[in-house]
Amino acid sequence: MSEDPKLGALRKGFLEFLVLRIVSGSTVYAADILKKLGATDFATQEGTLYPLLSRLRREGLLDYEWQESEAGPPRKYYRLTAAGRRQLAEFDAYWARLNQTIDSMGI
Amino acid sequence: MRQVISVSLNGRAYQLEDDAHAALAEYLDRASRSLAGNPDQTEILADLEQAIADKLERCLTPHKTVVVRAEVEQVIREMGPVDSGAGTGATHDGASADAAARGSGSAGTAAGAAPQSGAAASKRLYQISDGALISGVCKGIAVYMDIDVTLVRLLFVIAAVLSGGLAVLLYIAMMFIVPYAKTPEEYAAARGLPFNARVLVERAKLKAARLADVAAQAAMHNHSPEARAQWKAEWRKARAEWRQEWRRSRAHWRAYRWAGVPPSPIPSSPQPPLPPLAHLISGLIWAALGLIAVLITVAWLLALFSLITTGAVFDWMPFHLPLWASIIALVLIYQAVVWPLRAVRHGLMPRFYGYAYPWHSFWDGLLGVCLFIFVVWYFTHHGHDLRHSFESLQQSLRPAWQQFLGAWQTLVQGAH
Repeated sequence: MSEDPKLGALRKGFLEFLVLRIVSGSTVYAADILKKLGATDFATQEGTLYPLLSRLRREGLLDYEWQESEAGPPRKYYRLTAAGRRQLAEFDAYWARLNQTIDSMGI
Repeated sequence: MRQVISVSLNGRAYQLEDDAHAALAEYLDRASRSLAGNPDQTEILADLEQAIADKLERCLTPHKTVVVRAEVEQVIREMGPVDSGAGTGATHDGASADAAARGSGSAGTAAGAAPQSGAAASKRLYQISDGALISGVCKGIAVYMDIDVTLVRLLFVIAAVLSGGLAVLLYIAMMFIVPYAKTPEEYAAARGLPFNARVLVERAKLKAARLADVAAQAAMHNHSPEARAQWKAEWRKARAEWRQEWRRSRAHWRAYRWAGVPPSPIPSSPQPPLPPLAHLISGLIWAALGLIAVLITVAWLLALFSLITTGAVFDWMPFHLPLWASIIALVLIYQAVVWPLRAVRHGLMPRFYGYAYPWHSFWDGLLGVCLFIFVVWYFTHHGHDLRHSFESLQQSLRPAWQQFLGAWQTLVQGAH
């Protein structure tokens, strides 16, 4: 992959935001999140995602419940908490502001 | 000829060639070290092992039952290095991200093709008395269908009005037929969820299996007493951890049972325990209140039965209300009496289990009272049909009440 490392550094902080967004849509389990991210620039691995999910849960932004899956053992299904929803709204507002700022600079 | 080592990942057994096993053990060991100090270390490790198991599943067919090193290495590449989880962002490089994109795609299909696990949780209809307005039928239906209890109540009231009171009879019938959810397992079954403890037990098994692996390796490589002592210490630590988590999960399920808190947030830092005497006293008060609540409920059911069949509460009728109004009055009186009892009982719970009494139960109750006021208003204006069906019910139930009274009198006389 010949990608500018600067762009990689730029992406880093956004993963949390994206995970919250994905979870806000519907309750999902970890493999769903990976699949969704996999098709994008934000492709992530379990080794990164699980600690992140656990941290978000500890911060009270996410919540999970065990659900029986059709195949294999029960899975954790994640969903947003009220605090997570607030955080996401803040992120969204900040993102809009950031976009505006970037657009209004230069050229 | 190669040696094969069996490992258990989240309760499923996998056979790995010895070097594949070494690679996997090293990965998990590294993961465990990078998660050191993370309060969710055990949980994240269990999740990671589950993901590995899902991925290994696709390497196996009925004719190929052993995982080789190359496959484990591929899986580990897909998993990626484990973050400490303390930072605020993700770290990965482009190449591994690409691998993840491929990996997660196929992981989905692998999970789909994996064989059915033996123990699927079945869903059953129960009455749930926590947050119930009358008996918990609506609450049970709401939980069963995974919709809001208010919606069920609303639909029920509408159904009662449209069917001219038939739905009320149905409710009373269900009150007696549908069982109450009492144990955590039954609460889980009411939601169609697997009981948490089973998951925990499986995880405990896995943990034990891993430690046994470590022990076997230690025995192979090193016979020194220090190594054995170290293993023993590790084993003790793991056991203590599991006991703690098991206790927390049990307390959590109790809180769920009594306060209707959904099963997700296992409280991670319980409140400091009460001094033993205070604990005993609050426990006794709690139990006594429970007994009183049960007695009141029984008395209320008898009063309701006698009101429906004879038109008077145990031959006592202070005001000449129509039957439907006195039934609603009885329900409201019951609510008014039981409500503070419930509140006090719930209030005592957090002292035991480190759980705060959730406000949503309060709103639940308030909303219920509003609904009843609406029902009273509605039937004052359009209640003719309902009255008719109650009158016919009264006719048909009267012999049963007289039989009950007769049996009661015989019992009392027999006692003397």
